[in-house]
Amino acid sequence: MIRVRGLSKEFGTLDNGNGGVLALSDIDFEVHDNEFVTIIGPSGCGKTTLLRIIAGLIPYDHGEVTIDGRPVTGPGPERAVVFQNFALMPWADVLSNITFGLEIRGASKDECQAKAIELIKLVGLQGFERRLPKELSGGMQQRVGLARALAVNPQILLMDEPFGALDEQTRRLLQEQLLRLWEHKRKTVVFITHSMDEAVMLGDRVMLMTPRPGRVKEMIDVPLERPRSREVEKSSAFLEIKEYLWDNLRAMQSGDA
Amino acid sequence: MTQETVTAAKSIAMRGIAWPRGLRRFAGNGALEILALAGGALVWEALGWGLRLQWLPPFSKVMEALLQFVYRGVILANLGSSLQALVLGFSLSLVLGLIVGALMGRYRVVEKALDIYVHALFVCPSIVFAPIFFAVFGLSDASRIAIIVVYAMFVMVINTSTAIRTVDPSLVEMARSFGCRERQIFFRILLPASLPLVFAGIRLGMGRAVKGMINGEMLIAFVGLGALAQRYGAQFDAAKVFAIAMVVLIIGLLCNALVQILDNRLTRWAD
Amino acid sequence: MKKRNVLDWGLRLAVFIAAVGVWELFVSTAQNFLLPRFTDVARGLFRLLFSEARFWQALYISNQALILGFAISVGIGIPLGLLAGRFRWMDRVLNPYVGVLLTMPVAPLIPIVIIALGLGIAARVFIVVLFAFVFITVNTRAGVRSVEASLIEMAKSFGASEAQIWRRIVIPGALPAIFAGMRIGLGRAVTGMVMVELILVASGLGRLLLEFSGRMQSDLVFATVLAVIIEALALLAAMQALEKRITRWAPNIAIG
Repeated sequence: MIRVRGLSKEFGTLDNGNGGVLALSDIDFEVHDNEFVTIIGPSGCGKTTLLRIIAGLIPYDHGEVTIDGRPVTGPGPERAVVFQNFALMPWADVLSNITFGLEIRGASKDECQAKAIELIKLVGLQGFERRLPKELSGGMQQRVGLARALAVNPQILLMDEPFGALDEQTRRLLQEQLLRLWEHKRKTVVFITHSMDEAVMLGDRVMLMTPRPGRVKEMIDVPLERPRSREVEKSSAFLEIKEYLWDNLRAMQSGDA
Repeated sequence: MTQETVTAAKSIAMRGIAWPRGLRRFAGNGALEILALAGGALVWEALGWGLRLQWLPPFSKVMEALLQFVYRGVILANLGSSLQALVLGFSLSLVLGLIVGALMGRYRVVEKALDIYVHALFVCPSIVFAPIFFAVFGLSDASRIAIIVVYAMFVMVINTSTAIRTVDPSLVEMARSFGCRERQIFFRILLPASLPLVFAGIRLGMGRAVKGMINGEMLIAFVGLGALAQRYGAQFDAAKVFAIAMVVLIIGLLCNALVQILDNRLTRWAD
Repeated sequence: MKKRNVLDWGLRLAVFIAAVGVWELFVSTAQNFLLPRFTDVARGLFRLLFSEARFWQALYISNQALILGFAISVGIGIPLGLLAGRFRWMDRVLNPYVGVLLTMPVAPLIPIVIIALGLGIAARVFIVVLFAFVFITVNTRAGVRSVEASLIEMAKSFGASEAQIWRRIVIPGALPAIFAGMRIGLGRAVTGMVMVELILVASGLGRLLLEFSGRMQSDLVFATVLAVIIEALALLAAMQALEKRITRWAPNIAIG
């Protein structure tokens, strides 16, 4: 379980304590085991910063961030990140990219090989094992990124607008694929997005953030039944939640939240 | 120009005239360039015979001198000495260039401490150090090698440091997210990612090294190809001097091709 | 930010002091009595700048070749580059020659220039031109080619004539690269000037250097070299400042 209490983060403070920008202020929330939480908010609200703090990539100034009771001090084996611009090593083929995390953590060549084959099948990239990233479409590259994250068998998947760089059609396909994978083997997921459709479609709960300095405005339950199908997009519950999100976001963007 | 505009321009150039298809394909692949070179050689030949200037021998005479060199082994004798200095000088500048560049790229302290000096030494004409090296090392191989190092090193320092500094930060972050330690990040991410730019620097450095070799020889040493050029110049034998210039040109092109092959092999993944 | 700046310059000063330290150490331990100390060189430089009229004379003579040579290089290089950039067939014809001139060291050709033009100012200017003009051409051409075809199309769609396209789209668009080419060409011209001085031992700095080294006055040799380095850096810095002024909007691409 991820637990965040009173978290705040400032950027760019000088040595004398002045001049900083408060990115996050007093963030309070929890993510339960195997829950899929999506985070949405206006641009600049600090969602990516929050994710990187949970991932252990950047330090935080005040508050408490714990995973199953242990405080976060850096990256750890129970978490894996999926990046918006894929972050694939351009010089390595698909197979090597997928096994990267495993290799770092010391797995043997055979383990890596086996895992990689399993995951390639899982994300549907058979036949592309030896290809270089530049030979793949955006959607395929992100599937490699996803496979790489899943390869290390994390309890928590941290996804930073993973489909943001893709066109709409590819995005929808990948959303469906992600849901299928998640249904098959549930993990805790924290998923950042700009898209209200995506937030409601994927999440068990949606966390709405305020503009900078980012705070948790509200945690909204998404009581739609699982497994989610495209049909759900037409249901009144879906549209209600989406409207609610948009009303709030619009108000926040124009400054009168 | 994008790839599409280049091909578009090519097809427009060809369209106005009904070239037969075979000729069109030939023209597309560098025929015009070859024709231009051949044309130049012909003009040179004509002017050489026609004008009868001491400094402009006909192209054929130059070729003759070149072949004579090869046949009589003159080239080989002096080439050996030149190439030795080139190899030693280039290797030294490669090692120094890559190490200093890597340190500058990796550690901001080193970068800030050295950047103005590296930049200054890069832009100022390297030959200007020749009198200094002559004073320090005298008439020896060390002078020639030192000049080659000064010529070649700084472009490699700059390219290497830029290469490491401009590695996609999200790749570094990704590696860190999987628990990579600093050393792993350096060898698994920074090094491979910086390879294309580093190779560009090595290619440039190679060209500079050849220039340093010949420039240094013309000034300092009395051995090697540069010395030959001076000697033939003093004898007013223009054909032989041109021939030597061609030899140096060929050396430069070969070295460049060598680096290019290595580059292609190792950085096939870059676009 | 200011604090960082001070720190950086402190580092650079530290490096400078360390280098001078190593120099002094090397000089005192080496047997070579031709090696001047840093202080000797500094003193020598002062002497040259303030009490040797001959130095300034030599500088003036040497720079004649530089200025004339650079001016001619620009005069030849830019038009050639513009033509090569605009007309594809011309580009392809010139390409192999440009390629050769870029990679071939000019130095071996100097004896030929001497045979042709003697040892006077004509030869010196010609050599400087040989060193410099190709780089100006290459960068100018790249600048012209870098102008987006869509911009030219846009101008045509508003009915612009060829002259107007040149004046309002191509030349402004190519200007950053042209200036970068001039900056690089200037560096090459200085190289050419130095090569000329050292090989021809003409009436300028080369003659001075020969005299000083003949008289074993190595401190003055070093000082002269230092003066040339300072001049080169000053010229290039000035050129770069001009370049920055004129091309504030452009990204950084240069060949050379």
